[in-house]
Amino acid sequence: MERSDIYILCIEDEQEVLDAVVRDLEKLEEQFPVETANSAEEAREVIEKLLDDGKKVGLILCDHILPGDNGVELLIELHKDERTFASRKVLLTGQAGLDDTVKALNEARLHHYIPKPWTREDLLEVSVSLLTDFVIDEEDNILPYMSTLDAERISESIRTRRSISDE
Amino acid sequence: MKSGYSGLTPVQLTGLFLGIFGLILPFLLPLGSLSFAGQIGLGIFLMAAVFWMFEPIPIYATSMLVIFLQIVLLSAQGPMFMDAKLPSAEPVQLQEHTWQIPTRALKDDNTVLVITEPGKTEAVRVDVVERNGQHVIVRSEELSSDRAIVTDTGHRLVNYRPNSYTDYIGTLANPIIILFLGGFMLAEASVKYNLDKNLTRYLLSPFGSSPRFIILGLMLVTAALSAFMSNTATAAMMVTVILPIIAQLEPGDRFKFGLALSIPVAANIGGIATPIGTPPNAIVIAALTEYGKSISFTDWIIVAFPLVIVMLVFAWWLLLAFFPPSVDKFNLDMKGKINLSPKAIGLYVIFGATVLLWVTENQHGIPSSMVAFLPVAALVTGRILTKNDIRNLPWDVLWLMAGGISLGIGMDKTGLAVWMISGFDWGAMGYITLILAFGLVAVAMSNFLSNTVTATLLMPLVISLHTSGVMGDSFNLLITGIVIAVACSLAMALPISTPPNAIAMSTGIIRTKDMAKVGVIIGAVGVMLVLAYAVFYWPLVTN
Repeated sequence: MERSDIYILCIEDEQEVLDAVVRDLEKLEEQFPVETANSAEEAREVIEKLLDDGKKVGLILCDHILPGDNGVELLIELHKDERTFASRKVLLTGQAGLDDTVKALNEARLHHYIPKPWTREDLLEVSVSLLTDFVIDEEDNILPYMSTLDAERISESIRTRRSISDE
Repeated sequence: MKSGYSGLTPVQLTGLFLGIFGLILPFLLPLGSLSFAGQIGLGIFLMAAVFWMFEPIPIYATSMLVIFLQIVLLSAQGPMFMDAKLPSAEPVQLQEHTWQIPTRALKDDNTVLVITEPGKTEAVRVDVVERNGQHVIVRSEELSSDRAIVTDTGHRLVNYRPNSYTDYIGTLANPIIILFLGGFMLAEASVKYNLDKNLTRYLLSPFGSSPRFIILGLMLVTAALSAFMSNTATAAMMVTVILPIIAQLEPGDRFKFGLALSIPVAANIGGIATPIGTPPNAIVIAALTEYGKSISFTDWIIVAFPLVIVMLVFAWWLLLAFFPPSVDKFNLDMKGKINLSPKAIGLYVIFGATVLLWVTENQHGIPSSMVAFLPVAALVTGRILTKNDIRNLPWDVLWLMAGGISLGIGMDKTGLAVWMISGFDWGAMGYITLILAFGLVAVAMSNFLSNTVTATLLMPLVISLHTSGVMGDSFNLLITGIVIAVACSLAMALPISTPPNAIAMSTGIIRTKDMAKVGVIIGAVGVMLVLAYAVFYWPLVTN
């Protein structure tokens, strides 16, 4: 499996929880490198560095309670930035209140909400589905993602969008 | 197929430099009899071949670049030939059969080029009597004072009459390209209104639930659709059909290999069945038509269909032999409902009428490319396809084919194609050996290259074997062309061989070695079968 330039970013202030998320995403990491951050501030730095290197942020898994700016604020900011507008955004939290969640949904166009505690299957399923959306929308050549992501939807996209033609 | 995610790989970078080197190489080597235009043509050919092989730029981009270089470097309006005039003069008669001519009019082999008609010369042997600086006095009975001779035998217009640039850019409106445009628009509309999926559902239902017959059904339906639609779009659609079946199998079940391989195999073979089935057919038909060997839609089907059926049944048997079914029954549950909106019904009518008119071309005589404009016009008039749908058509494929046709015109026109075949004693080879060799070379090449590119590179050779007459009377241009087209579609041993192979491999279900095993056997058996058809069947149905 070749590494792609699409990254998964996990933002979580508790190191054990962060390690657990990364461990659960192990199956995807071979193709989608995982970066981590402990705060919104660190997340911004990581994103800037990735974008400067010509990489893309495909999926952002973000906790709500963080030191400094909270997760919802960060996601809204990233939604407004055209460079991370297309990134799929997930709130992974047990502590976001209704108001914050609604705000995230309305203003950050949150793609998914995963309540803690999560199961590995759930997290993987959501990540695969959102990354499939991302590559179908953003990538020219989607074939390399077929075996890791949702093959049926990727084939269907080849059929309808004709991204690959007879040669 | 590009494997990396971005940037040029070392291989592509090598290809980029090799290609540029290829463009200038003919001017660095002594190529003897090849004309100046032929040298340019050879440079363009080498560059295109290298670019198509290494893909430093996309293959359709190479095609567009070919047309660009041809209009600039080879056309009558390009800077190379814009103001060029062949220097000529009438020979000066001194006595009977004794002439004074400029020194530069005499070639090293003591011949003089007499202009027979514009752009054409004939070499005439002369006896040199005396040389005096600027002029030579020669004896010849064939010179005459009213026939001009070329006064500069090294001039770039000797034996080359440049085409108008419109001949090269006009390839995009070649009748065969328009035929494909019609096919593409029908396919686009079929996908839009899910006609392909619904047809698949209906056509598969008689095959029951036995795995053996489901595979047969999948292969027949895939082949039938890919005969009229893109092989790639058909394969992508059928992959969505087989993934749920494969999910029903045990993880270690080898039958899934056969199931997943059946789709690209059938999609590749199905493209052979009609002229619009796959782009290599277009390259071959365009070249044949240029030399008066046009083949109708009906005739193509008569030629190709029996081969397709035998190949499909063989491939079915092969896949079952390698990967026998492990269960007795499958659940093939395809959801969906036929679209009965007025636009969808309009599509069904246009689709049916067009296909009917195509396959009955021999009965009514209306050329298939003319019929192809029926769906083109009707689908947009009925707003069945919109502006966005038209933008979504595979224009890259049309350009790829146009560039291929254009390259062929240039190679023939500059004398390059004849020059390329001149170093080899083809006549000694024999017609049947020749067909076999072309078939094997085409399969081998197109396993690594695009099928269209393979046809593009081989067809000019076939054409020049015909025009030069080196093969004698036994040579059949039409059949040799068909051999090339069919053989290009029989290459399916590697993931990179065809886009359907790439899609099937990308599912992660198949292993490369299984694809190679099946693909090599199909390629080898296929070429033998093609040879048998070319010797025993095709002569009966073509003239």
